[in-house]
Amino acid sequence: MGAFLEIQDVFKSYFLHGKRIDVLRGVNVAIEKGELVSLVGASGSGKSTFLHVVGTLDAPAAGVMRFEGKSVFDMNDGEIAEFRNRTIGFVFQSHYLLPEFTAAENVAMPAMIRRQDNGAALTRARELLDRVGLRDRADHRPGELSGGESQRVALARALMLQPALLLADEPTGNLDPSTGEGIHQLLREVNRELGITAVIVTHNETLAQSMPRRLRLKAGEVVAAG
Amino acid sequence: MREQSQAQLPAASAPSAPVPAEAGEPRASPLPWVGGFLALIGVGAIVAGLARIGAAELIVSDLGLGVVGWGPFVELVIGGIFAAKTSVMHDSLAATLGAGDAGGGDLLTWAGLAVFVVGWVLIAVGLRSRDPQLTAEGMSIRAPLNPRLASYRDFHWGTLAEYGFGILLSELALILVYTLLISVGADPKAQLDEAQRVFTPVSAFLVALLLAAVIAFAGGYLGAANSKRLSTPEATLAMLYFGLPVPIGLTLMHLVPTLTIKVGYRLREITYLSSLLGESRPQLGYWLVFTLLVLMLFLGINTGFVATSSGRTDVRGGFELFVANRHVSVFRPRLLLGAFGVLILGILPPLIIYAFIAAAAAQTERTRVRQLGLKDPLLAAEALHRLKGKAQRPTEMMTALSVGGVGVGVMALIIVLSVMSGFEQDLQQKILGTNSHGVVLKYSDSMAEYRDVMKKVATVKGVAGQTPFILNEVMISSEGNISGSMIKGIDPETVGSVTDLPKYLLAPSKLDWLEDPSQIERKHLTGLDDQPSELDRKLPDDPYLKQEDGKGEEEPVLPGILLGRELASSLKVVVGDRVNVVSPLGGEMGPQGPMPKSRPFRVAGIFYSGMFEYDSKFVYIHLRDAQTFFGIKGASGIELKMDDIDDARRVTRAIYDKLEGYPYRTKDWGEMNRNLFAALRLEKLVMGIILSIIVIVAAGLIVATVIMLVLEKRKEIAVLKALGVSDGGIVKIFLSEGLQIGVAGGLLGLVAGLAWCFFIEKVGIKLDPQVYYIPSLPVKIEPLQTALAVVIAILVTFLASIYPALKASQVEPVEGLKAE
Ligand SMILES: Nc1ncnc2c1ncn2[C@@H]1O[C@H](COP(=O)(O)OP(=O)(O)OP(=O)(O)O)[C@@H](O)[C@H]1O
Ligand SMILES: [Mg+2]
Repeated sequence: MGAFLEIQDVFKSYFLHGKRIDVLRGVNVAIEKGELVSLVGASGSGKSTFLHVVGTLDAPAAGVMRFEGKSVFDMNDGEIAEFRNRTIGFVFQSHYLLPEFTAAENVAMPAMIRRQDNGAALTRARELLDRVGLRDRADHRPGELSGGESQRVALARALMLQPALLLADEPTGNLDPSTGEGIHQLLREVNRELGITAVIVTHNETLAQSMPRRLRLKAGEVVAAG
Repeated sequence: MREQSQAQLPAASAPSAPVPAEAGEPRASPLPWVGGFLALIGVGAIVAGLARIGAAELIVSDLGLGVVGWGPFVELVIGGIFAAKTSVMHDSLAATLGAGDAGGGDLLTWAGLAVFVVGWVLIAVGLRSRDPQLTAEGMSIRAPLNPRLASYRDFHWGTLAEYGFGILLSELALILVYTLLISVGADPKAQLDEAQRVFTPVSAFLVALLLAAVIAFAGGYLGAANSKRLSTPEATLAMLYFGLPVPIGLTLMHLVPTLTIKVGYRLREITYLSSLLGESRPQLGYWLVFTLLVLMLFLGINTGFVATSSGRTDVRGGFELFVANRHVSVFRPRLLLGAFGVLILGILPPLIIYAFIAAAAAQTERTRVRQLGLKDPLLAAEALHRLKGKAQRPTEMMTALSVGGVGVGVMALIIVLSVMSGFEQDLQQKILGTNSHGVVLKYSDSMAEYRDVMKKVATVKGVAGQTPFILNEVMISSEGNISGSMIKGIDPETVGSVTDLPKYLLAPSKLDWLEDPSQIERKHLTGLDDQPSELDRKLPDDPYLKQEDGKGEEEPVLPGILLGRELASSLKVVVGDRVNVVSPLGGEMGPQGPMPKSRPFRVAGIFYSGMFEYDSKFVYIHLRDAQTFFGIKGASGIELKMDDIDDARRVTRAIYDKLEGYPYRTKDWGEMNRNLFAALRLEKLVMGIILSIIVIVAAGLIVATVIMLVLEKRKEIAVLKALGVSDGGIVKIFLSEGLQIGVAGGLLGLVAGLAWCFFIEKVGIKLDPQVYYIPSLPVKIEPLQTALAVVIAILVTFLASIYPALKASQVEPVEGLKAE
């Protein structure tokens, strides 16, 4: 059995107007359990694409990904759905909350999908919102939240089921420095206390520097960042 | 991990910076397009050819079948056969007339048919040759391909086989199982002996249909499970090449005489069954059943796809319902009330009411905001903002429309079917009121021993009453008019135990007056007819006439006769008047054969059954008078009444056995009026099908609504998938949204339809009595039929939302997230 998360030779290209854009050109990276990893790279270098592939939201053309030794791309739809639900916590670059549901319901959604008890899920969702500083916004709809607030709700949603792997695509992009620092503090806390492995994409070099392990996406490959 | 998916690709140098793709995307085979084009040309040629020989007219006039979905296709086939038949005629016609081009249209038709077939073959070949090239030239990868990509195949022969055999087997099973079941217990010599059979045609058909549906479903499920996708090309081909031949063959059997002779007798049970729907259009039944089986296949394919792509079938739906309810909140009182109002009152009144209410509500709200503004400007601004921001989403309007559409369809179905049932019941009541439930007859002129027969019949269980009768055709004349009639000799004592004749008599008629005609009240209404009429004096020395009735009046005591109201008014007679009954038979032999026999009767009563047929054609006299008049000993037969009219067939059968058959024979009311009730049933079926079109249109609305919902929610679908909702879960969400619309519409339609029926029944819709002979529209709510209308509507909406729901489940998370 190899590493916690093992990614080998992942390729992904886009074809547009007869042009080929090779975004991922054989990514090889292994991440150990409990690591807190930052991923930096120029805009358009493929960080989001990489994160989507790891989160099974996008299918690469070729490559292997093993999670705890199990080949993820060989799973059928049901298994993948379960993998997304139980193992992955995803924070999108834009928050993508469900507009018909309140903040608390949005946070509780993963637990409801897992068919846990609604009442218990909502109680826990409120605790999490409290944790990200949004106690009195729990009953707001996404349309009634600010961008930064939405991003924090999305983070709470990703943490709802205490995933083994947290993938965050610029979780602090919309936040003022102090709130952003608060979020990073929170990420470090959940990493330390709950042992959640996290890969965090960021443009903020100082924040990136503060992470124990730093990766850089460059020319379609993942390399260690200085 | 699967080793076989590691399709190792030629290793090459490391990829460089973005390069233009040399080959570009592989081209799809043009064959299907060419084929489709050819097929279209073929159809055009066929139509043009048929038009030349005049068959197109026939087809157009027959397009009623189009509602079944296969209609135009079926009509093309029929048209082709018609063309084949008439071509012989045309050729000979052309030969005699010397015209050269009479066969041209025919040739065109056949050429068109050939092109049509070739087109389809091309489509098939093109579909199957489209195997993708997964060699990834130009991009050099040393890694295993993504398993999904590696195992991707365009065409699954196995799936085609499973779909094809599924539909073919289900058709064959239906035919074989039905034939088998229907012959269980049947005497092989007496084929049409229905009483002995274990299964009635309908129950045998239902059992066989259930089995066939299960087989079709299983075929679809297995096929989709095999290919792990919907495989529409395979399904289409399976349906065309495996599914169509059987119904086409059956249809042809009815149209081509040689086929009918060759195979018809083997399939006689099937043809008998389909003829129950209507003698003239047995094909209708085949295509209806075929459509049903195709639907079952479709359902199986979808279920198989959803179940196997997610690895399991999860029937729990709490979460999915939770999401669906936020997307379409169908069960809002406002929406339901509004739709109900439209169904009951029409479109305009609810709109006006709504406008009033909305205006009033807005006015009070504005006043409230104004008053608030004086106290708390911040709150007022927010309230004003909310007042303006109440814009509705387009899907909400669509949802309301769909609910209304389904509601209208269900309501129309319920009302029309109930009214038709009402007519049927009314007709049945009237037929059975004047007619008996069954008769015992004898293969000879008369049944002299009817009293003995009646004693035997009385011992049979299920017989409620019986009365002897004599039936003959006569002419009835009065001074005013003349009319042909059916005359029936009845026994006044027992006739009431079989028919409702005594109840139908209008005052001052009395049934007893047949027994003792001297009691008949002479009319003294007008005084015009007081003196003995000309007719009275005409046959003074007829030995049949009794002597003076002792009152000193000159008029003799004539035997009594009962006339229907219509007949009485056309003869212009009332109770107490005389009429002359003329029988073509029964008189002495004259120089040119039998002389007509004539005898005067006195009108003892006038009856009104409500059936024009009876009120204008039937007259009743005493059995004794009929015996002497027609020279018959005993009676022509015995009329029966059963305890349970639906059991009439069995009871008449038992009586037949009791009388030991020949020379006696029995008939029940169904046999006596077979054509009438068969026609009624067919009419109802056709009405049902036509009205189902409304439901189908409503289903189209639902498809549109759910598609709009899916488009609107692409991003949310992607998010839900990212959070771990499986494909099946997404399908369930959107299915339940469609289903909610269907259920809400169906229930609304049910309530509105029942309300309308109740209204028609209690308040009544008057009919022109001159035309309809029934004072007001009859309704009879048959629970089964009503429930069926609702269930079918809900089923149709369910089927309709399958496609958009599957589309929703195929939204890829990343694509959905990027969608604007
Ligand atoms: N659907 C697509 N079709 C074609 N090209 C695409 C598509 N999606 C992304 N790309 C291209 O792929 C490249 C990588 O995109 P990606 O979103 O991964 O960048 P990123 O590193 O996350 O950038 P940013 O830091 O700005 O978020 C970009 O150049 C983008 O233009
Ligand atoms: Mg990005």
